[in-house]
Amino acid sequence: MGNKKAKKRSMAAEIIQRLVRNKMAMLGLFILVLLALGAIFADVIADYDTKVVAQNIANRLQGPSAEHWFGTDEFGRDIFARMLHGSRVSLVVGLISVSVSLIIGGTLGAFAGFYGGKVDNVIMRIMDIFLAVPSILLAITIVAALGTNLVNVMLAIGISGVPNFARIVRAAVMSVKDQEFVESSRAIGASSVTIIFREIIPNCMAPIIVQATLSVAGAILSTASLSFIGLGVQPPDPEWGAMLSSGRNFLRDAVHLTLFPGLAIVITILALNLLGDGLRDALDPRLKQ
Amino acid sequence: MKKILCTILAGAMAASLLTGCGGSSSSSSNSGGSGDAAATTAAAGAGDSAAPAAGEQVINIGLNTDLTSLDPHNHNDTASAYATRHIYSNLVRLNENNEFVGDLADSWEYADDVTVNFTLKEGVKFHDGSVLTAEDVKYSLETQKDSPKVGHLVSMIDSVEVTDDTHFTIHLNTPSNALISSLNHSGCAILSKAHVEKLLAEGKKIEDEPMGTGPYKFDSWTPGASFSLVKNPDYFNPERAAQNDKLVFKVIPEDSARTIALENGELDMMISVPTTDAGRIRDNSNLALDEYVSTHVEYFCANHTKAPFDDVRVRQAMNYAINKNDIVIASINNEGKPFDNYIGEAAIGYYDTVTKYEYNPEKAKELLAEAGYADGFTFTCYVANSTTRSTSATVIQANLADLGITMNIEQMEASTFYEKTGNGEHDACLAGWVANAEPDNTYRPLFTSERAGAGGNRSFYKNPEVDALVDDAAVNRDKAAVQKDYETILKTISDDAVWVPLYSPTGMIARQADLQGVVPSPIQMHDFYSIHY
Amino acid sequence: MHKYVIKRLIMLIPVIIGVSFLVFFIMSLAPGDTARTILGEDAPIEAVEALNEELGLNDPVLIRYARYMGGLVRGDLGTSYKSGRPVFSEVMSRFPDTLKLAFWGMVFAVVLSIPIGIISATRQYSLIDSVSMVLALLGVATPNFWLGLMLIIGFSLHLRWFPSGGSEGWKALVLPVITLGTGCMANITRTTRSSMLEVIRQDYIRTAKAKGVSSRSVIYKHALKNALIPVVTVIGLQFGSLLGGAVLTETVFSWPGVGTYLVNSIKAKDTPAVLGCVIIFCICFSIVNLCVDILYAYIDPRIKSKYK
Repeated sequence: MGNKKAKKRSMAAEIIQRLVRNKMAMLGLFILVLLALGAIFADVIADYDTKVVAQNIANRLQGPSAEHWFGTDEFGRDIFARMLHGSRVSLVVGLISVSVSLIIGGTLGAFAGFYGGKVDNVIMRIMDIFLAVPSILLAITIVAALGTNLVNVMLAIGISGVPNFARIVRAAVMSVKDQEFVESSRAIGASSVTIIFREIIPNCMAPIIVQATLSVAGAILSTASLSFIGLGVQPPDPEWGAMLSSGRNFLRDAVHLTLFPGLAIVITILALNLLGDGLRDALDPRLKQ
Repeated sequence: MKKILCTILAGAMAASLLTGCGGSSSSSSNSGGSGDAAATTAAAGAGDSAAPAAGEQVINIGLNTDLTSLDPHNHNDTASAYATRHIYSNLVRLNENNEFVGDLADSWEYADDVTVNFTLKEGVKFHDGSVLTAEDVKYSLETQKDSPKVGHLVSMIDSVEVTDDTHFTIHLNTPSNALISSLNHSGCAILSKAHVEKLLAEGKKIEDEPMGTGPYKFDSWTPGASFSLVKNPDYFNPERAAQNDKLVFKVIPEDSARTIALENGELDMMISVPTTDAGRIRDNSNLALDEYVSTHVEYFCANHTKAPFDDVRVRQAMNYAINKNDIVIASINNEGKPFDNYIGEAAIGYYDTVTKYEYNPEKAKELLAEAGYADGFTFTCYVANSTTRSTSATVIQANLADLGITMNIEQMEASTFYEKTGNGEHDACLAGWVANAEPDNTYRPLFTSERAGAGGNRSFYKNPEVDALVDDAAVNRDKAAVQKDYETILKTISDDAVWVPLYSPTGMIARQADLQGVVPSPIQMHDFYSIHY
Repeated sequence: MHKYVIKRLIMLIPVIIGVSFLVFFIMSLAPGDTARTILGEDAPIEAVEALNEELGLNDPVLIRYARYMGGLVRGDLGTSYKSGRPVFSEVMSRFPDTLKLAFWGMVFAVVLSIPIGIISATRQYSLIDSVSMVLALLGVATPNFWLGLMLIIGFSLHLRWFPSGGSEGWKALVLPVITLGTGCMANITRTTRSSMLEVIRQDYIRTAKAKGVSSRSVIYKHALKNALIPVVTVIGLQFGSLLGGAVLTETVFSWPGVGTYLVNSIKAKDTPAVLGCVIIFCICFSIVNLCVDILYAYIDPRIKSKYK
């Protein structure tokens, strides 16, 4: 047992080493860390009540200046402060909705892959139904139905991501379920659930991690899309997509209202993709050479 | 295998390519299928269909929404009315001085409170050449009563009695002042009995081949993109005959796109001017902006059945607490004015008798303290999904936060908004109202007990005195008494602080500077026949 | 092969039933006064109730679903609550515009991405490779509605080269197609590159090179065909997201397609119209996937044998 753990640790070290050598992935990670720090210390950098929601109509639609780095919006609020606080929403929605997809989709996929046969058939046919509807449409319908608020947005995006995870986990489980270590724990009488969660899942994390990273990007994009058509967070809370959407009315007079939140989305998603690609390369043994 | 592959791929390609190259050349594609539409175009007569001939004046008008139906009985919205009001005619119309004058009707007189005798103009022809008779009027109004969309407009009509081809009598089931104004509504358009019966016998619908007595004939409709009307050369009223040859209404929902289309000359004229672009249009020497006073009022409306809004002092405090100037700037870029009244200034039934509340946070604080809410309270405001309203709500939210009041905003789709506010689930909501030509259509739904909730009275305001005044104004034939009624109602509801009226946006139509003859209507029922270069 | 195609088409039936069930019940969860939305605020309560009754909205959900399915079985997609017209003709009158957008968006993506992907792979780590990979990443990362807005500012507001909305003429097609195709292009470029790289590394290519076959012909004759298999899958998958993406692109460019119709129908709680759009999207998506699978067999004879 100890030997196996040590082997795992060295493998992990090797993966991390490969990842660290990948400059682009490190750039992505750096951006993400920066964003996370911004989100964590948002209150310290810009006070919510006085900078993010307090209005100053006389000072509306000002271009970027020393005082307001990214200018002010249609209420005279500081766009930089709002984007900083908006990063919280984006990151939280991204992480929670992907967790929802991962937990539901992963469990379904694991059971489908492990049991095969009828269970597999039923689960995967249901997933096919979800997959048949473009995910953004599914999310729009769910939010429109359940009501517009952040929890429902996370739920909707989470649910629309379920089939992807189910498929990936199923494939991963199927690829490892007949291997020795599974056979051996079955032999010592472990229950199926134990086997799935203790043995199989940890051994097929690679594709799941990659998919999760990329899905966070997708979730942030979906949140912004939902907000863009008016189905996202409620005012006065800042959210990048909602900022874009309200800035759309001022495209010609004040481009900064749409430019900066748009760039924030692009950079965040870019960073997640860089990291995701790096992880894939680091985890993919075929590229070891 | 290859065969199947080729068939499937070729099919898909052909479909895509056909549509790809075809552009939007499909001139007509309404629901009846292109066959029906072609028939309509043919019926419109040779020479004035399809491609515009040289020297023809085609006026391109930009709209933000598509029409919903070409059947006057099957819609109750402005965009559809742009089409049907020009294809059909009504018995009466509203002139520039807010007076009702005959259109198809030559004259009318009240025999008593429930009997009105009408005389039709002679020799009015439908687009198919047949002559309008009283039978057509009877048929139109009586079938209208069955329409869920516009039937309520003629609910006071008991029956229509035809005397001869040009004379008929409308019998009312109750005295009503709303008859004449209703007859002006696009829903009361006069259809051709013979034409409609023929369509129905063929299993078609009225909207498949719209045909009336109006200054324009139906030309084409591409849902979601555009619809067009062509001049009716045989229109019965030379004074109101079309001064252009064709009207093309282009649906461009995106605001900036609509303005750009106007600037690029793709449009000759634009309805629903984005407030952000108004200044730009004024500054552009090639363009002109026609501004008019509208009947549109935006308001904040608390639910009187819920604490603390059951207390008139709290509602008055709201009136003092909200900075209407800021709302006008933030929501509509100053293209309108802060408003204190409950009905638009250009509306019939507007009187300046309301109690006005100036922005005064101190006064608001006092009133709140008096009512026992010195430390504020928390409530949720429902807002139907609209950029301007959510902007207004955001300003109000900040205003109230200064008084320690927490207002949560919940945006929702219009259908959900109607359902929830209709059931009285809201603490407060934001809404707007565009008054039409009949004051009873404003006062009754908004302020009477009978209409509390889903009926339109979202404040759940219930005051027997106001109910009685609205009822009297609806039937009293003495104009001075009606005025007195409405003046008293406005005073009472403003004292009771039923709403916080927020602002009234300026009506705007943008056009090419050399385009002439644009006559805006305060109730947004613009006529387009007079437009020309 | 025939059997396979027929089997796949039959498998569409349970999917459509499932999708309609799913969407119908999600829609019925939403509170919303459909009749009031249609009639407007000034309509009296009696008129609203009469319309709700006429539309059958007062019946329990299960009965409404059963009634809907009864129609669907006969190929009837029902009648739009809002317009009172058959959903099928409403959707079909807008479908060509959406298909046009999706088709040209895909053409744009494929025509650009495959050559770029191949060049990047054959010159791995070169400047061209780096630049195109960064661009591809940016393409993936850019929300298409934002890209659309930026294109409008640049090419419509300032340069005045293309209209910012509408669907008249080829000029109106340019910006929406770029907007819609960019994300797709990025994904296909990346797949082409990695798949080419993998194939190039394989033994038979090395052998061919060693034998003295020119490097150009190696790439185009041998490598490309094998590398195309995953690319075709991605193209098939992307078509689905292309249809989804069309919803936002159409909103930005006022494109009169199914996307805008769908969004408006969702907002108006026009359940039959929403279902109609989703079902037609679904069928379209499935047919594209079927085509992809058939293409597979065409490209790779080894797979073909499986279908028998």
